[in-house]
Amino acid sequence: MRRVRSGVLAAGVAVLVMGLTACSTGSSSSSGGTTTTVTPINNVQPVTIDPGPTVNGQPVGAFNTLYTTVTICVPGTSTCQNIDHVQVDTGSSGLRLIASQVTLALPYTTDANNNLIGNCIQYVASYQWGAMATVDIKMAGEVASSVPIQIVAPPNFPAVPASCSAGFPGVQDVSDLGANGILGVGNYRQDCGSGCASVSANNPGLYFSCPSSGCTVAAVAVAAQVQNPVWLFPQDNNGLAIVLPQVGAAGAPTLAGSMIFGIGTQSNNGLGAAQAQALNSGGFFTTTLNGVAYPESYIDSGTPGYFFLDSATTQLPDCSFGGNAAGLYCPNTPVTFTAINTGPNPNGSVLPVSTNEPFSIANGLTLVDSGNFALNNIGGPNPGFVAWGLSFFFGRTVFIGIEGQNSAAGVGPYWAY
Amino acid sequence: MKKVFVLLAALAAVALPGWAVLGGSAESVVTDQVKFQARRAVVERGAYAVHEISRDDGTLIREYVSAAGKVFGVSWTGPTIPDLTQLLGSYNTEFQSSLRAQGKTFRRRPAVVHNADLVAENGGHARAFHGRAYLNSLLPSGVPQETVQ
Repeated sequence: MRRVRSGVLAAGVAVLVMGLTACSTGSSSSSGGTTTTVTPINNVQPVTIDPGPTVNGQPVGAFNTLYTTVTICVPGTSTCQNIDHVQVDTGSSGLRLIASQVTLALPYTTDANNNLIGNCIQYVASYQWGAMATVDIKMAGEVASSVPIQIVAPPNFPAVPASCSAGFPGVQDVSDLGANGILGVGNYRQDCGSGCASVSANNPGLYFSCPSSGCTVAAVAVAAQVQNPVWLFPQDNNGLAIVLPQVGAAGAPTLAGSMIFGIGTQSNNGLGAAQAQALNSGGFFTTTLNGVAYPESYIDSGTPGYFFLDSATTQLPDCSFGGNAAGLYCPNTPVTFTAINTGPNPNGSVLPVSTNEPFSIANGLTLVDSGNFALNNIGGPNPGFVAWGLSFFFGRTVFIGIEGQNSAAGVGPYWAY
Repeated sequence: MKKVFVLLAALAAVALPGWAVLGGSAESVVTDQVKFQARRAVVERGAYAVHEISRDDGTLIREYVSAAGKVFGVSWTGPTIPDLTQLLGSYNTEFQSSLRAQGKTFRRRPAVVHNADLVAENGGHARAFHGRAYLNSLLPSGVPQETVQ
């Protein structure tokens, strides 16, 4: 079993290397009067919306699930595996793979007492629980070396702690997840950060030491936590862009787009006219709709549509309970809204940045029953809050600035579009 | 770096054992906050009292207690979701079964259930969650639903 001490050292090396090469992200660098041209690395990773991975001959995906194929390798070797249908999630950080889909022989991370480390992530209505391992992650031409990831539901692993499941169901297999794993490429470097490295009540309890007597909350150094691989790339590491084509009112059976690594680091990932909005400590910005400000709004590719407010506030009827579209809005004809998103300028300017965001909500039952997997104009209730899900990404380029990483827009975390 | 992982014996009980449960009596509100390393404050608001349980990691749980001593609502915000099997008790079973009836994507969109008696919601994203639950039948007379948040 790999002892975590070596894993941490490897991660520490990766961080150091990144620091040393961080200024060579441009297409060329000069030193001592000579100019060295750096061959640009392929930074374009294909992404798709489709019916999802197949279980027992049936595709198990749901509408508006964005997938990509991730290559994982035993660190420092060419022993690798491609894993398809990994969900691209800007609402979390780090790679999490369903154990049954991983054929590489990967030792699970243990602590100094040789106890397995358990990792928990909570989503809005589900959780993932499993072991940790260290891999090299390859996407497009980019490589993140020795990255701690989560292996979800490995065989014979201790039961999920109640503080992790919190009363919600797990997404511990391909069928329940609708994917072979989740790739968290959100605004943060790790899934937890300094809180989980703390021996105090600051620790929210997402990492566990798991001796045979049962799992208890542990402190795990920040570098040994599950890492967003993008910030660990040697270049193109200050963020990424998700580029998806527009989708018509009736939806589309599938959709193909790109995830482009780096912001303003190559000729294909400049900000252009995109406006950047910084996030508060919770990862939120303010959305104003019909004159009311909702200060805990967020963008999330892992949320399938526009989830906002409630039927009384929006005047959108709820779809009928128990039907195919329960939990969605079902207006008879499409209803258009124009919201205003506002956040601080990440470049430090005192003036906040605001953008007008028109969107439309159509009948959820009609859209779900259409059989299309890319659905625009779909949404549901989220009382008191506004969540901009995957439909928000259609027909535009959305930049995700990672915390502490610099770009022409300023220092992350921020969104730009 | 000698030891990368330090066990936190003091944090072993991170769940919320003994919290008052939705629909139950308020008495258990006072127990076990030491294990959770939490602080408690009580705010009297006439027809009801709000028991606020806060923790250094940013977790804030509010329990709304009627003059009759019943917990008619709870709300939570923080980096993780508290154990709803304890906070909502048997009402979490109703919350989850109602969510399951919402189709394939219910696990990754805001959890919203508005039944005749039980209203339960959970939203947010990794690192920042918020939610609430209340029972219409236990709301004190004249106290609006929006009170619980």
